[in-house]
Parts: sequence; C-alpha cells; structure tokens
Amino acid sequence: MLSRLVLTSGSALKNSGSFGACVVQASRSIHSSPQSKAPLPPLPEKGGKIRHGIFPEELFSLLYPKTGVTGPYMLGTGLLLYMLSKEIYVINHETFAALSISSVIIYGIKKFGPGVAAYADKLNEEKVAKAQEVKDVAVARLAQAIEDEKKEQWRVEGRHMLFDTKRNNVTMLLETNYRERLHMVTSEVKRRLDYQVELQNLHRRMEQEHMVNWVEQNVVKSITPQQEKESIAKCISDLKVLAKATQARAAV
Amino acid sequence: MAGRRAAIKAVDWVAFAERVPPNQKAMFNNLKTRSDAISAKLASLPEKPAPIDWSYYRKTVAKAGMVDEFEKKFAALTVPEPVDTQTAKINTQEQESNKSALDYIQASKARIVQYEQELGKFNNMIPFDQMTIEDLNHTFPETKLDKAKYPYWPHKPIADL
Repeated sequence: MLSRLVLTSGSALKNSGSFGACVVQASRSIHSSPQSKAPLPPLPEKGGKIRHGIFPEELFSLLYPKTGVTGPYMLGTGLLLYMLSKEIYVINHETFAALSISSVIIYGIKKFGPGVAAYADKLNEEKVAKAQEVKDVAVARLAQAIEDEKKEQWRVEGRHMLFDTKRNNVTMLLETNYRERLHMVTSEVKRRLDYQVELQNLHRRMEQEHMVNWVEQNVVKSITPQQEKESIAKCISDLKVLAKATQARAAV
Repeated sequence: MAGRRAAIKAVDWVAFAERVPPNQKAMFNNLKTRSDAISAKLASLPEKPAPIDWSYYRKTVAKAGMVDEFEKKFAALTVPEPVDTQTAKINTQEQESNKSALDYIQASKARIVQYEQELGKFNNMIPFDQMTIEDLNHTFPETKLDKAKYPYWPHKPIADL
C-alpha cells in the first residue's frame, strides 16, 4: 500500500517493472510455465488509479451507480464519526504523534517525490538505452555481415573469367609463336634468293669492269708512234685555225 | 587456317575488375598488363607473311631450276604448330577452383543462415521497456546472475559492477 502512495505523488514514474501490480506479476510468472504460448500482455506503465493517496478508484466506481459521486465520501465520513463517537478509535497522544509524523512524511513525499522518481527513471532509461544501443549495433553488424557474404558469393561467381584470361593468353602466345615461325621461314628463303641475285649482279659488274679495263689497255697499247705523230700534227693545225678565228672575232 | 585452334574468348575487363576483391587488386593489375602486352604483340604481327614474288626471281636468277626447286620445297613446307602444354593444367586448375568455390559458397550460405537466425532473434525480441529481468536473462543468457557461484548480493565480482 505504501508503494502506491509513492506511486501517485511520484507520478513521473513510467517504468514500473518491479513495482508493478502484483496481480500482473503473478500472471506473468504463471505464463512462463510451458502451458500457454500466448503472447504476454504488455507491462502496465502506472499502478492502479487511487484517490487521495490511499483509496483505490475501484471503490468509487463500485459505489457510483447506487450513491453517485458523493457516496464514498459520505461512507468515509460516517465510518469516521462512528469510530470516534463510539470510541472504537480512542484519541490519545499517539493520535497527535501519528498526525505530525504523517504530515511530515506527506509533505516530504509531495515535495521530493517527483525529483526522486525522475532520477530513478533516468537511471533506468540509461540502462535501457545502453541495451538498445547494443542491440542496434548487433543488428547493423549482422546485416552488414550478410551483405558482405552475399557480395563474396557474387565475386566467386566471376572466377571463370580468370581462367578464360589465362587460356586466352596461352592461345595468343601460341599464335604469336606460329606466326613468327612462318615469318622466319619466308624471310630465310627470301634471303637466300636475294643472295643469289646479288651474287649474279656482282659477277656481272666485275666482268664489266674487267672487260672495260682490258679494252682500255689494249687501245692504249695499240696507239703506234705513227698515229701519234699524225694526231699531234692534226692538233696543231686545228689550234691554228682556232687562233685565226679568235683573232678575227677580237678585231671585230 | 583460322580454325586450327581455340578461338580467343572476349574478356570483359570492366566486369572482371568489379569482381576482384580489394586485397587482390595488385595481382589483377599485373595480369592485365601482361595480357595486354601479349595481345599487343599478337596484333603487331600480320597473320600471313608477305608472299614471295617467284616470277621476279625466276627472271633474275640465272641458275636453272634453283628457283623452281625453292618454290617447290617452300610450298611443300609445313611449319609445325607449337604444342599446347598449358591448357590442360589450366583446366585442372579451373576444376579445383570450382570445387573450392562450391565449398566456400556452402560455408558462406551456412554463415548467412546463422546470421539470419541471430538477426531474427533480435528482430522478434520484445522491446526492452516491456522486459522483466527474467525475460532479459532468457534473451541474453550472459546477463543471468550466477547465484550459486556468488551467493551474496550483487552476485557478481565487485570489479564487474
């Protein structure tokens, strides 16, 4: 009952995990046995509604149909007066002690209750936020891991490209080699034929030169002294004619 | 003469590059440069050598029959094709890699199933503000306090608080 007192004045209390109404708690522990798999109802945020810190709202709603709004108040007043007048409750020094103590307690709770409740809530919020963060990080990590695995599988699918490249390279190298061989054969044959042609040309040139030299030599040898004298006389007469022609031109 | 060996398959280098994981990029670049060098060399060689002009040589060379003999021998000559020793090895390599790839994919799928299980557990969990301590211990067994080992509150070594 005292917990309910704390609850109303500390109305900022949201999370009532362990403060929750014992009825709900009991139903939860009943449900944890493997008899019913139905999902549990959510935990209540606040405790049962109460009026004036002590009296549950159910009493008021119980009496409302028969006695209206003022019914429970009349009942309370009547009960109090009955107990006082019949001296079922005797007023003595303890009454005043109870009044003073309870007024101080009520004042304290009303003043500091919300602050303490907010502080307790903050502690709880931090715990929940930390747990939530852990959960979020874990979920993100798992999703990323799944993505990465799928990507790796996609990568693996491309492995045939590597082997295609290798086979292509081998084919190209073989083809290159073959072509080089063909080229080499052709060029070798061509070189040999060209050599023969060059050889022939060389022969012919040498023969030509030799023949020319021989003809020259023979001609020079065959120039007799008689021919030489005749050719010199001819040269002189030619020169004289030329000189006369030049003189004539110079005089003109 | 063109169909005497396997045709060269076109390799899509862009798609290939996409599939290379980042830690093998250097090897991939080496492979690409080598392949490009080989294909450039191949492209620089004409497929057939220039034919020899036999009539010119027949006119020029005086020796009788030499040109004819050369021509006959040249026509009869067949250049042996180089022997392919590597393709078989490459094929066996490919078989092995296929096998290991299948194994890897199996393992990867098992891992994905495991991850998805854990993900399902997280997604189907009741929200934290609806949980009790019992529910927390059920979902995350590591939060359960060992009351047998540490019988006195706080049920865990003080250093762990």
